[in-house]
Amino acid sequence: MTTATTTTTTNIDPIALEVLWSRLLSVTNEQQAALMRTAFSTVVRESQDLACGVFDTSGNMVAQSETGTPGHINAMATCMRHFMAAYPASTLEPGDVLITNDPWMTAGQVNDVTLVTPIFRSGAVVAYFANTCHMVDIGGRILSAEAREVYEEGLAIPIMKLFQRGERNAELFKIITANVRTPREVEGDLYAMASCNDVGGAQLLEFMDEFKLASIDPLAEAIIQRSEAATRAAIAKLPDGVYTNELWSDGFEEPVLLKATVTIDGDHLTVDHAGSSPQSRYGINVVMNYTHAYTSFAVKCAISPEVPHNEGSFRPVKVTAPPGCILNAQHPAPVAARHLIGHFLPGLIFGALAEAMPDRLMADGAASIWITMYRGQRPLPASGGSNGQRAAADPYTFMLFQCGGTGARPTKDGLNNTGFPSGVAGVPAEVMENLTGLVMQRREVRTDSAGPGKFRGGCGQYTTFADRSGQSWSMSGMYDRLKFAAQGLLGGGPGLAGEFVLSDGRQANPKELLFHAPNTRVDTALPGGGGYGDPFERDPAAVLDDVLNGYVSIEAAARDYGVVIRCTKRADEQVSVPQHFSIDTAATAALRRR
Amino acid sequence: MLRAGVDIGGTFTDLILVNDQTGELTVGKVLTTPADPSQAVADVLQDALERSSTPAAEVHHVIHGTTLVTNAIIERKGARTALLTTRGFRDAYEIAREHRYDLYDLFLELPQPLVPRHLRLEVDERVYADGTLATAPDADAVARLAAELRDKGIEAIAICFLHSYANPANEQLVGAIVGEIAPDVRVSLSSEVVPEIREYERTSTTVANVYVQGLVERYLRELVKRLERLGIAGELFLMLSSGGISTVETASRFPLRLLESGPAAGALASAHYGQLAGVRDLLAFDMGGTTAKLCVIEDGQPLTSTDFEVDRKYRFKAGSGLPVKVPTVELIEIGAGGGSIARVDSLGLLKVGPDSAGADPGPVCYGRGGRQPTVTDADLLLGYLDPGFFLGGRLKLDLAGAESAVRTQIAEPLGLSTVQAAWGIHQLVNEGMASAARVHAIERGKDPRSLPLFAFGGAGPGHGFGVARILHAPRLIVPFGAGVTSTVGFLSAPLAFDFVRTFYGQLDRLDWVHVNGLFADMAGQGDAILARSGVPSEERRFSRQADLRYAGQGHEIRVDLPDGVLGPDSLAAITSAFESVYRRLYGRTGPEVPLEAVSWRLLASGPRPSVRLRAAERQGTTAARKGERAVYFPEFGEHRPTTVYDRYQLGPGASIRGPAIIEERESTTIVGPEAEASVDDYLSLHITL
Repeated sequence: MTTATTTTTTNIDPIALEVLWSRLLSVTNEQQAALMRTAFSTVVRESQDLACGVFDTSGNMVAQSETGTPGHINAMATCMRHFMAAYPASTLEPGDVLITNDPWMTAGQVNDVTLVTPIFRSGAVVAYFANTCHMVDIGGRILSAEAREVYEEGLAIPIMKLFQRGERNAELFKIITANVRTPREVEGDLYAMASCNDVGGAQLLEFMDEFKLASIDPLAEAIIQRSEAATRAAIAKLPDGVYTNELWSDGFEEPVLLKATVTIDGDHLTVDHAGSSPQSRYGINVVMNYTHAYTSFAVKCAISPEVPHNEGSFRPVKVTAPPGCILNAQHPAPVAARHLIGHFLPGLIFGALAEAMPDRLMADGAASIWITMYRGQRPLPASGGSNGQRAAADPYTFMLFQCGGTGARPTKDGLNNTGFPSGVAGVPAEVMENLTGLVMQRREVRTDSAGPGKFRGGCGQYTTFADRSGQSWSMSGMYDRLKFAAQGLLGGGPGLAGEFVLSDGRQANPKELLFHAPNTRVDTALPGGGGYGDPFERDPAAVLDDVLNGYVSIEAAARDYGVVIRCTKRADEQVSVPQHFSIDTAATAALRRR
Repeated sequence: MLRAGVDIGGTFTDLILVNDQTGELTVGKVLTTPADPSQAVADVLQDALERSSTPAAEVHHVIHGTTLVTNAIIERKGARTALLTTRGFRDAYEIAREHRYDLYDLFLELPQPLVPRHLRLEVDERVYADGTLATAPDADAVARLAAELRDKGIEAIAICFLHSYANPANEQLVGAIVGEIAPDVRVSLSSEVVPEIREYERTSTTVANVYVQGLVERYLRELVKRLERLGIAGELFLMLSSGGISTVETASRFPLRLLESGPAAGALASAHYGQLAGVRDLLAFDMGGTTAKLCVIEDGQPLTSTDFEVDRKYRFKAGSGLPVKVPTVELIEIGAGGGSIARVDSLGLLKVGPDSAGADPGPVCYGRGGRQPTVTDADLLLGYLDPGFFLGGRLKLDLAGAESAVRTQIAEPLGLSTVQAAWGIHQLVNEGMASAARVHAIERGKDPRSLPLFAFGGAGPGHGFGVARILHAPRLIVPFGAGVTSTVGFLSAPLAFDFVRTFYGQLDRLDWVHVNGLFADMAGQGDAILARSGVPSEERRFSRQADLRYAGQGHEIRVDLPDGVLGPDSLAAITSAFESVYRRLYGRTGPEVPLEAVSWRLLASGPRPSVRLRAAERQGTTAARKGERAVYFPEFGEHRPTTVYDRYQLGPGASIRGPAIIEERESTTIVGPEAEASVDDYLSLHITL
């Protein structure tokens, strides 16, 4: 029935290749589905801070699951050679599972753990399955930007066996669970990670049986060649040239300059980050692996989003950064909050490429996802509990992700409160409150935070947190863009920068570990995305709709968009309706004449 | 006794009328009347009654499914709806999960809320996660707000407060005040529509429910009147997206549960035909012009889930729609149909779908202006379709046009022959469907190699053989009359009502008294509805399940509960049931942690009606041979003369050796070389692989 029985030649016909390739993708999707359904922490199961993929026997990534987050996907892709150097195939047995969290080899922070499972067939390794997940805790100082050396950031796990011949490495589990604040979640997640590699491996073996493949390497080679050729063809369509951009991040102790020089030369694309700030004394440093991950993600989004992600689509993109700069930090630099800087890279690169590919790229957005580690005590249960007994202390450690607005696009507004470039998801307030003593008091779209433009940026959000346990609590925020707003493109205005306010009036660094008295309230305002094009060219009807819905204020409509809107809503009315608002055409025309 | 099933689809309204004594079937089909859909229902019923010369009074009940709800949401034709939330949370409905469903698409769009921001209002109230009532709403303030909404022409209000699944008191209080101040405004409480954790999903579901409620109520009222005017005294029931059946009253309160009634009927029909053939586990495969739907039938029942999305920005992209948590027959829909377009992508590979030429212009061979080659064009070139007998000869197919499109757009760019390209298109669309089926089955703990494939829909019988081969299915079953298969499902479902309550707790220290109370409450409600629907008390069945997980996980597994009063003694049985499902799904059990329950479910059902389709009298195969044509099979690598059979002349016991083509008006069944097809008592084809 099938024509796909070629096993020894790389000249797999295009139809057979498509059949085999789609099967392989389906295997990785099954791997990820199993991971999310069995994971314990909300970081993995709700927020999808993960990556899953399959590798050939040379360690090339051949396919990855559809979702996940770029910092993990691309970093995982390049980690396999380290595993293979530490444990050549000859030293592996069926049932072995390898582990590491080395930031320089994998995803740039010690919380990100990668598990690799060799898959055996007829006694030989035929493939590797890997996945990378963020552990809610890994010991050390708790996830924060405050460490001065990576040693303070948590437990270091060199490449070693987590399972050997199917048996758990009990000694290693003892060390891990003794070092972390959330042993149950971490142990449960490690099991889920091992399980999902098994699920992927079992499917792969069936697939090989069915197509009588002795090896997936020829298939892998065909996939990689095709992807590389398609990526090169996409690069070759862009005008040759050298394109540069720079932008600022708040940094920890001082602002950080990020630079990119993008060189397009035929079907080669090079991104060099020379000129960026030197590495910081605090944990906002980025390892080369992570810089590479977000740089190649940006290039893929911009140039060849349709080419599947694998070794072949990485090859044509070369990324460099001088050792010791903040985008190529050297051991033992602290790196835990590397996403704060790393998430700026796509915006940086889009800004450089905007000239080469007008009308295809988006303005800069909130960029860094805002991460908070909350710690405290769960509240005592409401009276009338089943047996009246309760452990004295019931601590929680909870990791929350929040997003500001994305940048505007050439034909569409930016997205309100949506992660970009990160692919992680938020957590429902109800789930968070069930697991902690936190009370979220507000989650509201932030009016006027979007950068104005013919197409406006996405809005940020206001959030307010308190704790109801009656005990002190702490937070480690990792927030950026409080000083440097997201810039617009082609005449679009900047979004609003973020804000961080404590109810007791303390002036705090938004990247430091803070202890709060029981009744403290924490207010954050997340940044908006930059606009695209001249805001005076925005359709006045769109501005009117934004005013009706409170995305834009009446004042900002006139000031930023030159649209004068009259409002007849009375002070005692709570509900806005379209009849309340109208455009003053004459006044608008006058304003827009400038 | 006569029973009628009526399905309103986007284009056609289909009817099936069954005489339970004789097993006689009457089918009807008219164009849907969008302005007043009840018109088409009345027309098709009246026509069928006349044709079968049956008095309307003999119709005992009518079971009805409709796409009305889906269409109202997609076309934004529901009520002017407002949303009341906890202070600070009116945007939780819009901020959603803060997540991009496509990592690389810079131009993606998010689903648009059904309630615009200016109609989302906040109430000073708060309940904590453990159900503690922290702030009760101020009745006067709520009354003022309700009056203002009423005066501003709001027709529907969704009330969704934080943690109302744990304590619904505030929602109930506000709902009561709104009901008093604005009695004509329809109100849905999230604690009633879907008492489950996760505010975004719960809000989205509650809003969608009340958004379509007025429309559904009006429509059902009109339909009841029309049935009365026709002289039908029997009761009207509604098919739910779970495959259950409900009264008009329940459907009016929870109209969202009607969402996917059409596809649910298709799944039920597959289950029914499977049972007739003695097959209780199977994979239902329905392939039409633009999409294919797949659904696992387990022990005679379609699997259901409560994760569903409506109004997707990209039809086949999970996460691009509005989530609605209603029990729904769990089927996957993929962009693979007869009209799916084939093209060569930027990697030089052949891709098929998900975009479709639809019915207009349709495939190139329809000769209606279609330019891009489709699956149907490939099937025609392979000899699987007869250019002169498509839709029983009503549409002549343009073979030369199809050949030229496949040759110039696929074969030449790929360096293949036209036949190789056509086979590639056929094979790839089969691969895509088989892949989706495999992931779907595996996610539900099913081994696809153990499931017979049940193929229906216009293109299902033509692709069933290829898909079944790829899946290593034990056999392929093709029912008689692909065009009416789905409607049979309306009449084969028992009356069934789902209930769910959320109550968290670790099983080793659970308040079992409370759990038993929840079940008693649900059973009481179920019993009352069954009684009202005329199910005698000895035939009422109640089955119970729990959604369980290892304490600390975020996703649950549904596990059957033992009968009787639950307590600490039930723990061992429940744990062992959980572990066996878990191991089947994920290969190993989890770490040593206690189990935790999230929700408790009860299904109250009546007896399964028996639809006895009349077995036909025809015998033998000789009369059924209608000719021969050249057909491509990969085993031969070329077209070879192949016998064509007339399905209408194949009676029970007939048997055919492949390769063969079996034609009926709406579909063509392919039987590959070496395969064996036989006809069962109900005229279904059973094909070995």
